Amino acid sequence: MLEIRDLVCSYGKVMALKGVSLSVAKGQLVALIGANGAGKTTTLRAISGLLKPRSGQITFNGHDITQAPARKVLSLGIACCPEGRRVFPHLTVKENLEMGCYLRTNRVEITKDMDKIFEQFPRLAERRAQEAGTLSGGEQQMLAIGRALMSRPTLVLFDEPSLGLAPNLVERTFEIIKNIRDLGTTVLMVEQNALAALEMCDHAYLLESGSLALEGSGRQLLDDPHVREAYLGG
Amino acid sequence: MAEFLQHLVNALVLGGTYALLGIGLTLIFGIMRIVNFTHGELFAFGAYFVYLFAMLLGFNFFIAFAIAVVGGCLLGAAIEFILLRPLRGADIETTMLVTIGAWIIMQNTELLVWGGVAKAITTPFPETPLVIGAISVSPLRVFVLVIALVLIGGTYALIHRTKLGMGMRATFQDSETAELMGLNIRGIYTATFSIGSGLAAAAGALLGPVFLAAPTMGDLASLKAFAIVILGGLGNITGATIGGFLLAIIEELGAGYISSGYRDAMGFLIIIAVLLVKPTGLFARAERIG
Repeated sequence: MLEIRDLVCSYGKVMALKGVSLSVAKGQLVALIGANGAGKTTTLRAISGLLKPRSGQITFNGHDITQAPARKVLSLGIACCPEGRRVFPHLTVKENLEMGCYLRTNRVEITKDMDKIFEQFPRLAERRAQEAGTLSGGEQQMLAIGRALMSRPTLVLFDEPSLGLAPNLVERTFEIIKNIRDLGTTVLMVEQNALAALEMCDHAYLLESGSLALEGSGRQLLDDPHVREAYLGG
Repeated sequence: MAEFLQHLVNALVLGGTYALLGIGLTLIFGIMRIVNFTHGELFAFGAYFVYLFAMLLGFNFFIAFAIAVVGGCLLGAAIEFILLRPLRGADIETTMLVTIGAWIIMQNTELLVWGGVAKAITTPFPETPLVIGAISVSPLRVFVLVIALVLIGGTYALIHRTKLGMGMRATFQDSETAELMGLNIRGIYTATFSIGSGLAAAAGALLGPVFLAAPTMGDLASLKAFAIVILGGLGNITGATIGGFLLAIIEELGAGYISSGYRDAMGFLIIIAVLLVKPTGLFARAERIG
């Protein structure tokens, strides 16, 4: 579904990705793990069109999206739930969801999808007229997920979904992400919480200093001595 | 008391147009982070366009007004498209210098085209003022106030009730995430600059017939627009609206009770005071559009 080949990205003279190749198969939950600065977020930014890669190729369902702008990527079916949630603080909950489907025009379908989101997250329904900045961290995460789903994506990119959340909410968030996969939407997730990510994913990639260090099923990486040593606390 | 009320009525008329100027500038600064020195020239453009169409080409005054506003929007869009779009991501100082350059070019073009003598614009409104008790106000000034209020209301509705307005607010709050949502950020910027410029042109088209159209009228308009934006807080539309009326009241009362020679200085004294005491503006909440 998503194929990345020899992706090279840089911020000025700093190389963030030094030739990364990975693929995400339809229906899978793929985890991208690694330390801070390994290039995980850069990979997602390159996919979603916020960052133009130096070289390499990204294809999605046969479309070359290497240089595509964000709106093109989104309209092909890739939505992003960005790091730190990034809800629009002074828009209401409802407006935030509407932002998620800015490119869609069918009001009837949009209302149906929004009702589904409200059904799934009753807290958001209660607060639909409230500014998103007044929500708790957990509620903001639900809103950011709901917003990403509003575009009816076939692939959702999650960037550090557990960051800054209380432990019970982390678990809830991971449950939701698994549920999204179970309902047939493909997921590519960047996560620092390596243990949780490896336990829930179908396939995983380990990034180190901008290069791919390891790949395999979640189980394989969990059993790998290097991963255990460096990312799972021995 | 009657004199005081008369001053307030005058201030109200002036304040409506000041608010238009301020809202336009605060939108552009708030969303695009551009310190726009062409704003006053759009104001002058509005006045001259009414002069051109109503006085020289013989159009109906109201149609000339509408053309001036639409023309202001188009000119604003052109400025954004030609001068500012290639500079996206440049320092705020760079874009500021560019708008200063554009301001000088526009003003000298006006001087070249229209000459240095101020132009009077006549309107279909009767000269006899409406007298209510001790207060008198000309029908033209009533028209100016009503149209200003309609445009202010329209801008509010645009920002708060339309999809474009939601996109503008979202872009102001987090342009990168707005881009992730599929927004055409460049289009939002062009629309913002165009709307802001149209509001300045509307203010000029309204005040031109009340006073005169002169090539340097834009300078003071720019300065006052900045003053209003500072009063109201950057990017704050409600603040700009209140700031516009406040500046007009201060000017009017200052001119009436202290010295009419210092009319234009009054506002700036207040600005200096505001900057010293509350630099974020009188009505600043957290920075936001809306």
